[in-house]
Amino acid sequence: MAYQFDFSGIWEYRAELAAGVVHTLALTGVGTVFGLLVGVVGGAVRGWRVEPYNRLCGLYVELIRNTPFLVQLFFIFFGLPALGVHLNEWVAAALAMIINLGAYTTEIVRAGVQATPRGQMEAGLSLAMSRRQVFWHVVLPPALGRVWPALCSQIVIVMLGSSVCSQISAEELTFAASYIQSRNFRAFETYIVTAVLYLLLAIVLRHLLNRLGARLTNRDVAKP
Amino acid sequence: MIEFSIWTILQYLAQGLGWTLCLSLLAFVLGGAVGGGILLARIATYPLLRVFARGYIEFFQGTPLLMQLFMVFFGLSLLGRDVSPWVAAGFSLTLYSAAFLAEIWRGCVEAVDRGQWEAAASLAMSRWEQLRHVILPQALRHAVTPTVGFSVQIVKGTAVTSIIGMTELTKTGSILANATLQPFTIFGMVGLGYFLLCYPLSRLAHYLERKLNVLAAH
Amino acid sequence: MNPRLRFLVSAALCCGLSFSAAAHADALANIKKAGVLRVAVPQDFPPFGSVGADLKPQGYDIDVAAMLARDLGVKLALTPVTSANRVPFLTTGKVDLVISSLGKNPEREKVLDFSVAYAPFYNGVFGPAGASVANVAALAGKTIAVTRGSVEDLELSKVAPASAVIKRFEDNNSTVSAYYSGQVQLIATGNVVAAALKKRDTQKSLETKFLIKDSPCFIGINKNEPQLLARVNAAVASARKSGELNRISLRWLNTPLPAAF
Repeated sequence: MAYQFDFSGIWEYRAELAAGVVHTLALTGVGTVFGLLVGVVGGAVRGWRVEPYNRLCGLYVELIRNTPFLVQLFFIFFGLPALGVHLNEWVAAALAMIINLGAYTTEIVRAGVQATPRGQMEAGLSLAMSRRQVFWHVVLPPALGRVWPALCSQIVIVMLGSSVCSQISAEELTFAASYIQSRNFRAFETYIVTAVLYLLLAIVLRHLLNRLGARLTNRDVAKP
Repeated sequence: MIEFSIWTILQYLAQGLGWTLCLSLLAFVLGGAVGGGILLARIATYPLLRVFARGYIEFFQGTPLLMQLFMVFFGLSLLGRDVSPWVAAGFSLTLYSAAFLAEIWRGCVEAVDRGQWEAAASLAMSRWEQLRHVILPQALRHAVTPTVGFSVQIVKGTAVTSIIGMTELTKTGSILANATLQPFTIFGMVGLGYFLLCYPLSRLAHYLERKLNVLAAH
Repeated sequence: MNPRLRFLVSAALCCGLSFSAAAHADALANIKKAGVLRVAVPQDFPPFGSVGADLKPQGYDIDVAAMLARDLGVKLALTPVTSANRVPFLTTGKVDLVISSLGKNPEREKVLDFSVAYAPFYNGVFGPAGASVANVAALAGKTIAVTRGSVEDLELSKVAPASAVIKRFEDNNSTVSAYYSGQVQLIATGNVVAAALKKRDTQKSLETKFLIKDSPCFIGINKNEPQLLARVNAAVASARKSGELNRISLRWLNTPLPAAF
């Protein structure tokens, strides 16, 4: 086909693309921080079988992991208003990401907690630490270190998955791409540029997370 | 606008579910085969192969599947290869799954104690023999659970193939939602459809995890 | 040969072949030779294109496609598309025409050629009974849902005041859902679409606030296909004269074509 590539039209939209990158990063950041918190709590509940929360967490995890993110997002944005809960597109998107990452993190952390030798916990308890203290200081740090690579992968997946937030009008990177190509009809050029931006984001994010992971593990090693 | 009976809607959704299932199976089987190749390249002694495999994995894990599909379907056309949406969807999903499976399996191979390689080498086994007879059988046990777990991601990933005109479950759902103007009912049913496909897989992964852990403990 | 190198070489060869083939191609001659006119049509944008009970597309755009195929004496093959992929389907030669209520702007005209207008499109801003929004200026501070890339998106983006919040959704369905779920205050869409919605929903009223502009729709054709463009333009013109286009308008838009047509 005699299609002529022309990237010059994309440059005009650099502001939209930059805003898209910033918003994608912001969504990912919020989703990661709170998603990890949800996951750590959920993972502790699951790992130690704290009833009845264990069953509830199990239901939550299965429900989220076995349905597409888009369906979850639509439910929050279009479905909740029927119950009188109006969340704007950014809150809805961030909430969906937190809930989604939280479910995956719960499972990952559970695996890490369950792999902790019982003796370590008992040692902690024998030092008159409370269960909560044992969890935060004895169980969690090495468990997180163990599952950190799996968490990093999941965070990158969630970052790429945030692209569907454009469907509820959240103006992240994929929104910018769709917006640009709906104006100038240069879908190829737009998608190539966007794919490269996503790739860069993924590489940088993974690098940062790896460094963070190394720091976490080092700190644990340094601790007596 | 036309009225759809609940029965017709279910029939169409079941059809879409069928396509989703076909695409997932295709992606899983072919992706597994290609992923095996990428895994071998990733842990090869030859550095160029390793660099290629790393780049491959980085690319397919680092860009949205939607963009990959778009490039394959429309990009091949630009190169003068007009492929059907089926071929393009199968091909892209295969490349995508291969990257993730290779990376999952690499983790499993690396989880095998280095001493095992050394022990096998001391028995005068070639690198291939070490891998085939000593490492892979042990890695396999670690690999089963995450592999079945990833199949859930493949099922959900097929949803984006609607961009190139596949009428799988999500697409069927959105067409019906438009025609009936009842998005909540329809998307509820779509969600349920995915759950029906994915939940058994998740249970299977869970079951295998427990079973293999018990085996490992003995 | 190294497999990657082999792939690159074969890709380069394919490229060269296709470019040389394209140099001699004439879309109109190809359509006649193949005996098929391939048209991209919408399936989520009633009354221009939506699905019937058999999930096959139907609507104004589909009738126009059928009319063109009859005019050329060839069979018709429809490809349902969305706003995200309709143009790549055309530019990569997977379809011959895009009849998908396309609006035009100078940027788009760099990529595609557009036929003469084949359909009128009246778009406006609609909202609940209580809201007093008499003109574009009154949109200040309001949230308005619109389908991304549609005719009304292009028009509204041009005229809306800076403080108006335009929320752009992926497809018509999401735009409509955003209004009825109360996520936005107003909706910008075609008046025919709004009329269909008004009949359906009883919980929330939908009234015409004002019309933005009647901006016609055009058929999209690849660049450098003067024969095909001329043929399509001639067919549309004769359908206007013969009253066939008017019949299509009555059938789907419930109104005769405006005098300008």
